[in-house]
Amino acid sequence: MKSLKTVLLAGFACLALSGNAMAQSVTVYTAGPGGLIEKLAAGFKDETGIDVNVFQATTGKVMARLEAESANPVADVVISASWKTATSFAKKDMLLDYTSANAKTVPDFLKGPGYVAQGISALAIAWNPKSGTPKPADWSDLTKAEYKDLITMPDPAQSGSAYELVAALTAQPDLGWKLFEGLAANKMIVPGANAQALNPVLQGAKAVVFGAVDYIGLSQAAKGESIEVIFPKSGTVIAPRPMMILKTSSHQDEAKKFIDYVLSDAGQAMVAKTQLMPARSDVKADRPLIADLKILEVDPKTDRKAVLDRFAKTFGME
Amino acid sequence: MISAENSAGQTGSPVVVTGTSQRFGRNTVLEAIDLAVAPGEVVALLGPSGCGKTTLLRLLAGLSRPTTGSIHIGDQLVADASSGAFVPPERRSIGMVFQDYALWPHMTVAQNVGFPLEMQNIGRAERDARIAEALGMVGLGHVADRQPGTLSGGQQQRVALARAIVSRPRLVLFDEPLSNLDRELRESLVVDIAALLRKLGMTAVYVTHDHGEAFAIADRVAILHSGHILQIDAPEQLVGKPVSPQVVDFLKLGLVLPAEVQNGDLIIRGGKHRLSPPAGLINGSRSGDLFLPRSALRAASADGGAQKGNAISGTVVHSMFRGDGYAVQMRFDQNIAIEMFSATRLGDGTIHDLDISWDRAFWYPHDAAPALSHT
Amino acid sequence: MRLTHLKSRVFGSGGMIFAAVAPVLTILVAFPLLFVVLQAIFPDIARGIFANPFSRFVETLFDKHLIAWTLNTLMLGGSVVLVSSLVAVPLGILRGLFRVPFAGLWDVVFLVPFTIPPYIAALGWIMALQPRGYLEQITGLNFGGFLFSFWGVVFVMTLNVFPVVYFAVSRMVSSIGGRYLEAARVAGCPPMRSFWRITLPLTTPAIAASLLLVFAMSIEEFGTPAALAARSGFLVLVTGIEQRLSDYPIDLPGASLLSVILVLIAMAAFVLQHRIVSRRDFQTVSGKPGANRAAELGVWRIPVVMFFAIIGFLGAVMPILSVVLTASTRTISGGLTADNFSTENFAEIFANSGGAMEALGTSLSLGLGAAVITGILGTMTAYVVVRQRTVSSRILDFLTLMPNTIPGVVVAVGLILAWNQPWLPVTPYNTIGVLVLAYCCLLLPYPVRYANAALRQVSVSLEDAARVAGAGGIKVFFRILMPLIFPSILAAMLLVFAVAARELVATILLAPIGTKTVALFIWRQFEQGSVGMGMAMSVMAIAITMTIPVAVAIWARKQGRLF
Ligand SMILES: Nc1ncnc2c1ncn2[C@@H]1O[C@H](COP(=O)(O)OP(=O)(O)O)[C@@H](O)[C@H]1O
Ligand SMILES: [Mg+2]
Repeated sequence: MKSLKTVLLAGFACLALSGNAMAQSVTVYTAGPGGLIEKLAAGFKDETGIDVNVFQATTGKVMARLEAESANPVADVVISASWKTATSFAKKDMLLDYTSANAKTVPDFLKGPGYVAQGISALAIAWNPKSGTPKPADWSDLTKAEYKDLITMPDPAQSGSAYELVAALTAQPDLGWKLFEGLAANKMIVPGANAQALNPVLQGAKAVVFGAVDYIGLSQAAKGESIEVIFPKSGTVIAPRPMMILKTSSHQDEAKKFIDYVLSDAGQAMVAKTQLMPARSDVKADRPLIADLKILEVDPKTDRKAVLDRFAKTFGME
Repeated sequence: MISAENSAGQTGSPVVVTGTSQRFGRNTVLEAIDLAVAPGEVVALLGPSGCGKTTLLRLLAGLSRPTTGSIHIGDQLVADASSGAFVPPERRSIGMVFQDYALWPHMTVAQNVGFPLEMQNIGRAERDARIAEALGMVGLGHVADRQPGTLSGGQQQRVALARAIVSRPRLVLFDEPLSNLDRELRESLVVDIAALLRKLGMTAVYVTHDHGEAFAIADRVAILHSGHILQIDAPEQLVGKPVSPQVVDFLKLGLVLPAEVQNGDLIIRGGKHRLSPPAGLINGSRSGDLFLPRSALRAASADGGAQKGNAISGTVVHSMFRGDGYAVQMRFDQNIAIEMFSATRLGDGTIHDLDISWDRAFWYPHDAAPALSHT
Repeated sequence: MRLTHLKSRVFGSGGMIFAAVAPVLTILVAFPLLFVVLQAIFPDIARGIFANPFSRFVETLFDKHLIAWTLNTLMLGGSVVLVSSLVAVPLGILRGLFRVPFAGLWDVVFLVPFTIPPYIAALGWIMALQPRGYLEQITGLNFGGFLFSFWGVVFVMTLNVFPVVYFAVSRMVSSIGGRYLEAARVAGCPPMRSFWRITLPLTTPAIAASLLLVFAMSIEEFGTPAALAARSGFLVLVTGIEQRLSDYPIDLPGASLLSVILVLIAMAAFVLQHRIVSRRDFQTVSGKPGANRAAELGVWRIPVVMFFAIIGFLGAVMPILSVVLTASTRTISGGLTADNFSTENFAEIFANSGGAMEALGTSLSLGLGAAVITGILGTMTAYVVVRQRTVSSRILDFLTLMPNTIPGVVVAVGLILAWNQPWLPVTPYNTIGVLVLAYCCLLLPYPVRYANAALRQVSVSLEDAARVAGAGGIKVFFRILMPLIFPSILAAMLLVFAVAARELVATILLAPIGTKTVALFIWRQFEQGSVGMGMAMSVMAIAITMTIPVAVAIWARKQGRLF
C-alpha cells in the first residue's frame, strides 16, 4: 500500500518536472544483452561519477521508441544489435561525429564517422549433442536426411542478422537458394525470433539451430546446457553492434566519456565476458574471434524485401 | 375486474402431505407437516413471516425436496423422502404465482402467459385462444403485446395469475401474491381470485400472512407457526374455537391471561387479579391460560366487579375515533394488551373495569393434553 | 413518466457524470489513439511534420499478404470466441445458478490464467507438449502436432481468455437469480429447455459483452499465435504489425495503419454486439429484493465438479506446472532427471532480492492503481452509456473498447507520440505515470463491459428512490449503484489487477528509464538466455499476484457477497 502511494506521488511529482534532464547523467538506449549494460553502467559510474539511465529492449523496440520520440528526443547514446542502424542514421545525419581515442585498435570496417562497434556476434550452428544426430560441420550438412524434422531457424523477417545470413548465403554462387530449398525439404521450422529457435533444441524437440546467435549459445553451454556452437567451414555473417551518439543529445560530453569507457580495457573485458567478440582487436577473449572466422559479406545492394519474400515462400510462411 | 364466465367447470386434484419435514443443515424449518387438501378446495397457509410458508409451498411445487415424508398430488406420488422418489416441477402440472411475480422480462405479456401452453406443445391457434381467454379473465386483454416491465404492479400480478391458470393446472400455488399491492387493490383482487378459483374448480394453496386475505379466499385456513401446523379449520371454526393460545395470539382474537388455580379461583400472573370462574371451566388443572374473546368482555359502568371476581381492570393506553365508535387500547399487565371497541371515548390513563361473560371464556390447561374445555 | 426520467437523467446525475468522464476519457484514450491514426496518415508525424499524407497507404494496403492475414485474424478471433463460449458460458451459468462444491476455489483458480503472462503461458505449453517436452518425459506422449497448429493456438488462447466470459456470466446469472428459472419449471418447462428459453436469453447481454472482449483480445494478441502457429505459416495482422516494429527500418506508419484495420474489425464486432444487446434490454434487478437460492446439483455434482476441475487443470495447473518445472531444473537440456533438479534459479532470485522485490512492489502498486482507477472510471462510463442513450455516450462506449483491439505495442507508440510532444506544458512521459496511463487505457474495457452488463439490469426505480430520499447524483452512484453492481466491478478490477501486474508489451516500450517491473525483470532473464530464472520469477510473481484476489475472495465471502 505504501509503495502504491509512493508510485502515485512520484507520478504526480514527475508530471510537474516533465521528464529527464538530471545534470550529471547520460541516457543510453540499448539492445541486449541485459547483464552487459548493467555492468558497463556500474563501472562507468564508479570511474566518472556520471549516472547512466538505461532503456533496454530488443533492437526493434529501441528503434520504435526512438522513432516515436523523434519530435522530442530523449536518448544520448544508442547501442543497436544491427549495423544497418548506424549506417542509415549516419546517412540521415543524425549522429554526432566522434572518434574515441580508445578506438585505435578497432578494425576500420567496425567503425565509421559517428559510430563504432561495441562488440560483435556471429551466426553459427547450435547443435544439441544429446540429440543423437551427427555433429554438423557446415551449413549444407543440415540438408542431409539425418536432420530431417530436427532443424530450426530464427525468422529473418524478425532478426536482422538472420536476414543477413540468408542474403549472404543465397548470394554464394555455388549455393544460391538450393541450400534453403534443401532445408525446406528437410522440414526446417522458423518459429520466431532467436530465443524461440533455440528453445526446442535445448529441450530436445529439435536437434539444431541454423543461424543461432553465437554468444547466446556459448553462454548457454557455459551454464551447462547441452549445446555446442559450431562455426561453419564455408563461413558466416557477423553482426557488429554499433554505438553512436545522437546529434540531438544534450549531454554530449558525458556521452563521449561513455563511448570511451566501453572501448577501454575494462569495458571491452566486460564485453568479452558476455561471449561477444570485443571490438578492439587487441583484447583477448575466451572464444573464436573475427580472425578465426571466415566472414561472408552481404552486398548492400541486395533487395531485402525480395529475399524475405522468397524465403517466406520457400518455407510456406505466406 | 376478473371475470370467470366462460370457463369449463373442472375439478383440481387432491393434495396429501404426510409427515413432511424440511431441514436446512441443523435448522429445522418444517417439522412433520400433515396436510390434506380436497379436490377443488382452497387452503390458506397463514403464519408470521419466517414460519416456513414459502418452504412448504416450494415443496409442493417441487422446487425443493423434503427431508422426510411424502407428498401426493392426485394419484401421483410426487415426492417421497424415504424412497427418494421425486417428480420435478415441470411434470407436476401445477401453476404458481410468485411473490415477486417472476415475469420473464425478455418475453411479452402474451408470451409469458402462453409459455405453459407452449410447454405442453399446444398448437398456436389454440394457444392464442387460451392466452386471450386467460388474459380476458384477468381483464388484461389489451396489454398482450407489452413487455411486463411496462405494467403497473397490479397488472403484473394479474399477468402472473393468468400465467398460473392458463393451462388449467390441477393445483395452483400462491406465495403472498398480493403483498406488494395497495390495500384497496388487494381487497378487490382477493375476491376476484377466490371467485376465479371456485369457478375453475382448481385446488389451491394460498400463502399469506394477512388474516383478512386468508379468511376471504380459503375454504380452510392452516395456521403455521415455527414449522408446525397449529390448527387447520374453516375460518369460522378457527375464530370460534381456536385450539391454542398461540392461535388466539396470532389471530388477535382477545385476551390471553396466564393463571394459577387456587381453591377454584384463578390468580392471574402478575398478582393483581383474582377471578372466580364457574366450576366447569377449569376442570381440575392447576395452571393454564385463560382466553377471553373480545365478545366476552364488556366495559363495566361502575367499579366493584373486580372484587366480585367477575371483572378485570385495565389502563387505557389510547382511544382512537373510528367513525362508529372508539378503538381503545387497554393494558392489563406489562405484556398483555388488547384492542377493544367502545361507544364512548375513554380518557388516556384512566382505569376501567371489564365485565367477563364466563360462558364465552376458554381455558387452556398447562398440565393436561391441550383438550379444549368450554362451558 | 418516461420523459421526466429522461430529462432528469440528461440534466441530472447522468449529465454530471458525463461531464466528469468525457474529458478524462479523452485524455486517457482518445488523445493517444488520435496519434495512432495521425501516424497512419502522416508518415512523418513523429517529427511533427504533416507532410505526404496517405503516402504509405498504397504500399501497406496492397501488401499481398494483407487479405490472408485479415482472414486469418477473423478466423482466429471467431474460433477463440466460439470455443471460449462453449467452455465458459456453461461454467459461468453453473456457478451462478447452483451450489457448486468449492465454488470459491474455482473463482480463484480461474483467475490464475490471467496472472500468467501470455508469452509465459505459451512457452509453458510448448515446454510441456512439444516432442521431448515434460509430458513426453513423464508419460511418453507428446501433442506437438496439435499444439503447433491453428487449433493449438485457439486452445491456448481460449485458456488464457475464457475467465473474462466466466466471471461476467456467473456474476450476471447470480444477480438474476434462479427465480425466473423456477417460474419456468413450474410452468412445465424441463430443465434444459428452461435453460435455453429463460436463462440464456437473460444472460445474453453479459455473454455478448464478454465475448466482444474476448474477440478484441484475440485479434490483438501477438505472442501466442507467433510462438505456436507462425512455424506452420499461420500469420495474422498482428504478425505484420510486429514485423514492422521489429527490425530496422522501423515502419511506424505501416504498423499504425494495420492497427486501424484491427480497430475497424473490432468496430464491426462492436456494432454486432450492440444490436444483440439493445434488442434485449432487461431489468432483472427490481426494487423488490428476492432471496437468491442457489439450487442443488444433486446427481450432477460429480460431473460438474469434474468439468470445473478439468478446465481448472488445463487453464491454471498445467501451464503453472510446466513453469515450475522449468524454474526448478538447472538446465533445459538436462530434462526431468533427479540430478537436474535444483533450487538454483530461486536462490538467484533471492540473491538479487533487491531488484526482484523492487520489481514486484512496482508491479503490484501499478496493478492496484490501475484497478482502482479503471474500476471507478469504468463504472462511471458504463453508467453514462447505459442511462444516457445519446450518440455521444455511444462514442464513449466504443472509445473504451478501442484500446483493447489495438496491439499493446501500438498503443504504446501512440502514447509516446502523444505525450512526448515538445509543446506540452506537463507530461507524464518518462515517469511511472505513463505506465498508469497505459494500463488504464489498455484495461479500461474490462470494467466498462462488466459494469455495462450489470447496470443494464438495475431498475431505474432504485435510483429514483434514492433521489427521492435526498441523495444527489454522485451519492446515488456511489451509495446505490456501486454496491448493487459491486460483484461485477470487483471481478473486473481483479482482472485488471492481474493483467496490469504482468503487462509486458506496452511496458517494454514505455517504461520510464530505470523503472523495473515484474514483466521486464522476467523478459530480461529470457533475453539473457536464463529461461529458468525467468520462470522462477514468474512463479513468484504469480504466487504473489494471486494473494490479492485470494484475500479479496475471502473477504467477500465473509461479507456474504458472491465471489
Ligand atoms: N435454502 C434455505 N437455507 C437455509 N434456511 C432457509 C432456506 N430457505 C428458507 N430458510 C429459512 O427457513 C425459514 C422459513 O423460511 P420461509 O419458508 O421463506 O418463511 P416464510 O414463512 O416467511 O415464507 C426462515 O427462517 C428461513 O431463513
Ligand atoms: Mg415467504
